[in-house]
Amino acid sequence: MLVLVLGDLHIPHRCSSLPAKFKKLLVPGRIQHILCTGNLCTKESFDYLKTLASDVHVVRGDFDETLAYPEQKVVTVGQFRIGLCHGHQVVPWGDPESLALVQRQLDVDILISGHTHRFEAYEHDNRFYINPGSATGAYNPLGAAVVPSFVLMDIQSATVVTYVYQLVGDDVKVERIEYKKS
Amino acid sequence: MVEQQEKLLQEALGIVREQALGMKLNLDKGKLMDALKQASVMLSELRTSLLSPKSYYELYMAISDELRHLELYLFDEYKKGRKVADLYEVVQYFGNIVPRLYLLITVGLIYMKTNPSLKQALLRDLVEMCRGVQHPLRGLFLRNYLLQCVRNILPDVIEPTEPSEGTVKDSIDFILMNFAEMNKLWVRMQHQGHSRDKEKREKEREELRLLVGTNLVRLSQLESINLDKYCKLVLPGILEQVVSCKDAIAQEYLMECIIQVFPDEFHLTTLNPFLKSCAELQTGVNVKNVVISLVDRLASYSQNCHQDETSTQEISQLFDIFSDQVSSIIQCRTDMPPEDIVSLQVSLVNLALKCYPERVDYVDKVLLTTSLIFERLQLTCVEHTSAVSRQLNRLLSIPVQQYNNILTVLKLTQFTPLLSVFDLTGRKAMATSVVNNALANNTMVPTPDQVETILGMISALICDQEEQQEQDPEDFAEEQGLLGRFIHHLKSEVPDEQFLILVGARKHFMTGGDKRIRYTLPPIVFQAYQLAFKYSQIRDQDDMWDKKCGKILQFCHQTIMALVKAEYADLALRLFLHGTLAIGQIRFTNYETIAYEFLSQAFTLYEDEICDSKSQLGAITLIVGTFERLACFSEENSEPVMTQCALAASKLLKKPDQCRGVCVCAHLFWSGKSQAGQELKDGKRVLDCLKKGVRIAHQCMDPSVQTQLFVELLNHYVYFYEKGNALITVSMLNQLISKIREELPNLDSTEETEQIGKHLSNTIEHLRNRSESTEADGVSYDGLTL
Repeated sequence: MLVLVLGDLHIPHRCSSLPAKFKKLLVPGRIQHILCTGNLCTKESFDYLKTLASDVHVVRGDFDETLAYPEQKVVTVGQFRIGLCHGHQVVPWGDPESLALVQRQLDVDILISGHTHRFEAYEHDNRFYINPGSATGAYNPLGAAVVPSFVLMDIQSATVVTYVYQLVGDDVKVERIEYKKS
Repeated sequence: MVEQQEKLLQEALGIVREQALGMKLNLDKGKLMDALKQASVMLSELRTSLLSPKSYYELYMAISDELRHLELYLFDEYKKGRKVADLYEVVQYFGNIVPRLYLLITVGLIYMKTNPSLKQALLRDLVEMCRGVQHPLRGLFLRNYLLQCVRNILPDVIEPTEPSEGTVKDSIDFILMNFAEMNKLWVRMQHQGHSRDKEKREKEREELRLLVGTNLVRLSQLESINLDKYCKLVLPGILEQVVSCKDAIAQEYLMECIIQVFPDEFHLTTLNPFLKSCAELQTGVNVKNVVISLVDRLASYSQNCHQDETSTQEISQLFDIFSDQVSSIIQCRTDMPPEDIVSLQVSLVNLALKCYPERVDYVDKVLLTTSLIFERLQLTCVEHTSAVSRQLNRLLSIPVQQYNNILTVLKLTQFTPLLSVFDLTGRKAMATSVVNNALANNTMVPTPDQVETILGMISALICDQEEQQEQDPEDFAEEQGLLGRFIHHLKSEVPDEQFLILVGARKHFMTGGDKRIRYTLPPIVFQAYQLAFKYSQIRDQDDMWDKKCGKILQFCHQTIMALVKAEYADLALRLFLHGTLAIGQIRFTNYETIAYEFLSQAFTLYEDEICDSKSQLGAITLIVGTFERLACFSEENSEPVMTQCALAASKLLKKPDQCRGVCVCAHLFWSGKSQAGQELKDGKRVLDCLKKGVRIAHQCMDPSVQTQLFVELLNHYVYFYEKGNALITVSMLNQLISKIREELPNLDSTEETEQIGKHLSNTIEHLRNRSESTEADGVSYDGLTL
C-alpha cells in the first residue's frame, strides 16, 4: 500500500510549481492514499493531488484560506493509525515533545506534521514521526536553505517502509527508513 | 437517375464488348479494314451525351483497353515494314469525327513510332485536329487519349538527334496547346445547361480536373526542361492560360497543381511571376490557400537544403519577396476577408521562423504589417469567437511556441501593440499562453526592462480593462493564481536588479485593485524577504547590504499595508509575522525597531480586525509560535508582547479557547529567548499560565469538554515537568490525574469520551515508561500515582 505524504507547497505565494523532477516521479495510478500536511493554498494544487490518487486527506496549514480542511485528522491505513496535523499550532514548532502531546491526544502510531519545511523521520517513545518537508522547497524564514522533499510510505501489515525523496541540486536522492509497530 | 445511368452504361459496354470481340477476330484473320470498321462502331459509343462524367470515364477506360489491342497489332504489322502512310490516309475518311480522331491518334502513334522523323509534324497535326471536337466531355477525353498515347514518344532532348524528330521545345508546345484546349473545354462546362444545376456541374467539373492537370504532370516529367526553359517557356505559358481563362475553379486548382508538380528549385526562382499572377486571379479564388501552400513548401524546402550554395541567395530573398508580393496581393484583392489576410501573415511568420530562426525582425515586420492592416480596416476589437480572432491568435501563438522562450518573444516590439486588436477574452487568452510558456519552460525574466515589457504584454490579466467582464470566481482565482506563480519567474541573480524588478512589478500589480492583490502581492512580499536574506548572505561583498535590507523591509511593510487596506487581515497578519522572523534572522542595523513594528502591526490586526473566535485562536497561536522563535527583542520590548499575548489568550471568547490559548502562552516564558539567545525558563510564569488554564477549565460547563481540557492540561504540566520546571511538582500531576479519573466515569459513553479515555491512558503509559526508564534525565517521578 503506497501512501504519498507531502505538504507546504505554498503555490503561488512562495513558489511557482512543484519541481519538474518530482512531477515526473508522481504518476497517477500507483499511489493509494495521499496525506497532505497543508498549505496547498489553491484549489489547483488540491486538484493536482486528486489526479494522483482519489483518496486525498488534507489538514489546514497557516496559509490555507479554505475552511474545508480540518486542523487535525486521523486516517487508518492497514494496521496503522496515522495522525495528520500541519504543525503551526504546535508550539514550539517542530519540537518532538510537543508533537508527542498531539500523538497522545490523537492516539496514533504515526504522526505526520509539516510547517518547518525540513524533512524528518524518527522514532520517539515507540511512535513514528514524519515531517515530509516542503514539496516545492518553499522559502521559510526559520533558517537554512530549504531542500524540496516528499515522502512515500509503503505500508505492509505492521511494517512501514518510508522513502524520502529529496531534490539536492539537480538530483533526486532517495533514502529508506523502516519502522515496525511494536 | 443512378439506375438510368447504370443501364445506359451497361448497354454501351455491351456494344463495346461485342464490337471488340469482332475486331479481335478480324485482326486474327488479318482483315484489317473490317477490324477498323468494328473499332469505329465501338468508338461511336463515345459520341453519347447521355452519360455522366463518371460513367463516361468507365466507358472510355473500357474502350481504350480495347484500342490497346489494335495498337499492338498495328505495331507488330508495321514494324515489319508495311507502309503506315496509307493507313493514316485511310482512317481520315471514316465518317464520324469522334471515332475518326481516336483511330487517327492510334494510327498516328504507330506512324511516329515507325518513322521518328515525322514526330515534329505529326504531333502538331494531331493536337490541331482534335479541335474538331468541341463538346467538353468528349473533347476532354479525346485529348486525354492523345496525351496518353504519345506519353512515351515525346521528344525529350534539347538538341535534335535527327532533324525533324523534334526537341523538348516541340513537346512543350504540344502539351501547352493540349493543356490550353483542355482547359478551355473544361471551363466551358461551367457555362452549359441550366443555372439551377450549377452545384451539380461544379461537382462534375471537380471530377474531371485531373484530366486537365495531367498535362502539367506530363510537363514536369520531361527531363530536358531545365530552369531556364521553365522560366521562359513553361511557366509563362501555363500562367497565361490560367489567368486568361477567368474561371475561379480552374485557377485555384491549376495554381495549386503548379506548386505541387514542379520542383521547389523552380518555384524559388519564379516566385515573382507566380505571385504576381496570384494577384490577378478571379475574386472567387482562394488565393490565400495557394500562397500558403507555396510558402509552406518553400519553407520546409529551404529548411532542408540550407547547405546548397546556389539556393542560399534565393532563400535569403525568400522572405522579402513573399512579404512584398503578399502585401500587393492583399492590396489588389480588396474583397479578401480579414481572417484570410491574417492567415497569409501566419504563413509569412512560419516562413520567417523556419528559414531564419534568428531573424526576430522578420517576425516583427509581419506583426507590424498586420497591425497596419487592422488600422486600415478599422478593426479595433475583434471578437474572441470570430475567425479573425482565431487567425490572429495563431499568428501570435506561433512565435511563442516556436521560440519556446518568452525572452525572445519580448524582442518582438510589435507583439504588445498587436494584442490591442483582440477583445478582452482574446487578450487574456494570449497573456495566459505567454505566462504558461514561461512556467512550463522555467524561464526567468532577468532584467527590470524585460519585466516592464512582459507585464505590459500581459496587462489584461493584471488590471481592470475598459471592457468589463463577468467572470466566474473560480476562474478568476485560477487566473490570478497563475499570475502569482509567474511573479517567481521575475528574477535576477543580481540582487540590486532583483530589487528594481520587485519595485517595478509591485507598481503594476498594485493597479489590479483589491480583488487581485490578495493573489499577487504575497508573492512579491515573499520574494522580497528572500532578497533580504540574499543581501544578508553577501554582507561581506556589499557594504550597503544593511541599508538595502532596511529598504526592502520598508518595501514589504508598504506592500502588506496595501493588503491591510483591502481588508485581508488574516493574510496581512501572517505576512507581518513572517517579516518579523526574517528580520530576527538577518539582524541588520536597527532591526529590533523594525521587527517590533512588524510584530505590533500583526498584533494590531489581531486586536482590531480579526473577529471570529476560530480565527482569533489561530492568530494568537501563530503570534505566540512566532514570538517563541524570536531572539531579537530586549526585555523592554519582549515583556509587553508576552504580557499582551497572555492577556489576549485569556480574553478569547470561548472557555476552551482561552484554556488552550494560555497553555500555548506558557511556552513563551519557557523557551522564549532573550536577545542573547538564552531561553527564559521562567518557571513561575509558566506555572501561572498553567494554573490559569486549570481555573478556566473549571469554569467550563460541558463536563466532557472540561475533562478533555484537564487531560490536555495534564500533558502540558508533564511537558514542563520533564523540561525541568522545578515549580511543577508530582503532587500537581497526581491531583490532575485523580481529578480526571473522578470525572471520566460520570461522562456519557460516547466516542468523545472514549477518545478522552485513550488520551489519558496514553499519557499514563508515557509517564509509566518515563518513571521506569533508567535514563530519566534527572527528572524524578517519585510519588507519582498511576
